[in-house]
Amino acid sequence: MPSLRPLLITLLVSILLAGCAQQRQGSLYQQLGGDAGISAIVEDFTLRLADDPEIVGFFANTNIDLFVASLEQQLCETSDGPCRYDGPPMDRAHQHMGLTDAHFNAVVGHMQQALIDQGIPPGPRNQLLGRLARLHGDIMRRQ
Amino acid sequence: MTPASRAAVRPLWLILLCGLLLQAPHSWAGSRLLGTGGVTQIEGASGGGLSPWGVLTGTASEGEWAITATRSAARLEDYRLDVAGVAANWNDRLELSFARQRLGLDTLGGKLAQDIHGLKVRLFGDVLYHPWGIWSLGLQHKRLDDGNLARAVGARANRGNDIYLAGSKLFFDAAAGRNLLANLTLRSTKANQGGLLGFGGDRQASRSLVAEGSLGLFLTPNWVVGMEYRQKPDNLGFAREDGWQAAYSAFFFNKHVSLTGAWLDLGSIAGLDDQRGGYLSLQVAF
Repeated sequence: MPSLRPLLITLLVSILLAGCAQQRQGSLYQQLGGDAGISAIVEDFTLRLADDPEIVGFFANTNIDLFVASLEQQLCETSDGPCRYDGPPMDRAHQHMGLTDAHFNAVVGHMQQALIDQGIPPGPRNQLLGRLARLHGDIMRRQ
Repeated sequence: MTPASRAAVRPLWLILLCGLLLQAPHSWAGSRLLGTGGVTQIEGASGGGLSPWGVLTGTASEGEWAITATRSAARLEDYRLDVAGVAANWNDRLELSFARQRLGLDTLGGKLAQDIHGLKVRLFGDVLYHPWGIWSLGLQHKRLDDGNLARAVGARANRGNDIYLAGSKLFFDAAAGRNLLANLTLRSTKANQGGLLGFGGDRQASRSLVAEGSLGLFLTPNWVVGMEYRQKPDNLGFAREDGWQAAYSAFFFNKHVSLTGAWLDLGSIAGLDDQRGGYLSLQVAF
C-alpha cells in the first residue's frame, strides 16, 4: 500500500496554496454587504433569537428597535466599517442576566446560521465569527 | 443465534439508530456548535482517531449533558482492530468513557482484547472562545484480557494507566477562509502499541512522555479534514515500535451522527513493518 507521507504533504501544500490564492476584495464590512448586508444579517439573527424559547426571555424588557440599531452599529464597527459603536460596553450590557455558556453557544449558533442563510461566504463569515468570539470573556464576566 | 449472525446484527442496531437520529430534533442535542466535541478516538475518549483532544464528547455545555456511542474499525496489512465505546459528558466539565478494543492478528494468528476506562476533566477554556483554547487532563486505565502474549514478548504488566494533558483551539478564518482546529496532547505512558502488547518492557520499564498532535481544516461547518500524529514509546526488545499517523475526514450529518474515515500509517507492529490501511468510525450522540 502507498505511504501516507505524499498524501499528507499534498494536503498541507494545498491548504497553504488555497490560503495564498485567496485574494479578498475590500474590508470585512464590504464583504458582509455594507449597511444593507449587515441590516439583513441583524434582522435574520434577531428573528432567530425571537424563535428560540431558551433565549427570547432575555429580551422581555428590551426595546427591540434600539437593540437592532445598536447591533448593526456594533457589527459595522467590528467589521472595520464607517461606524462607531456608542452603546454600553459588553460586560455592562450583559451584567447579572444569568447567562451560561449554553446561552452563549446558542446565540453564536444563531449568528452562524444567519450568516449562512444571508449568503455570506466562508471567509468573511468565519472572520466575523472569530471577532465576535473574542467578546465571550467580556459578556460572561459579570454573570 | 450463532456468533457470526450476532456479530452481523450488532452493527445493525447502530445503523437503525443513525437513521432515526438523522431526523432527530435539534433540541435533543447540546448547545455547543457542531464538531466542537470532535469524534471518538480508538481509546474511547473524545478526540480525533488516534489521540484524545482537549474537547469533551458530544455538544453538552454548562447545565447540559451528553452521551455518545461509537463503533470503529481499522484494517491494516496484518491486523484488524475493532473498537466499541461509550462516553458521557457532564456540564462540559467531566467526561467518562469506556472502550473495548479487539485486535485480530491475521498473519501471526490469535486475538487480543483490552478494556479502557477513561476520565477527562476540563481544566479551563473553550475551543472557540478562549484565547488559549481548551485544556483538559485525562486518565486512561487499560487492562488486557490475557497478558500471556504481552509477557512472552517482554512486557512487564498487563495493565497500566496513561495520563495526558490535551489542548485544542479553533483558529477562525485560518486558511482559505476556513477554520483550523489544532490539537496538542502530552501523554505519560508505559503502553506498548497502545497497551495491546502490554505495559513496560525489557528495553525500558519506566514511563515515557510522548507528544501527539493534529491539524484539521473545517471545509464546511459539517466537514473537517486533517492529519494526526501520535508518538509512542519503544519499550520492547523483540520488535521496533513506530509513531502512528493518519489523514482523516470527519463528516457531521447533524449533532447526533458523525462518520469518520481515515488513512492510517501505523509503522511497524510486532515485527511486521509498514502497517497501513483504512479506518472507519461511526458515532451517535444524544
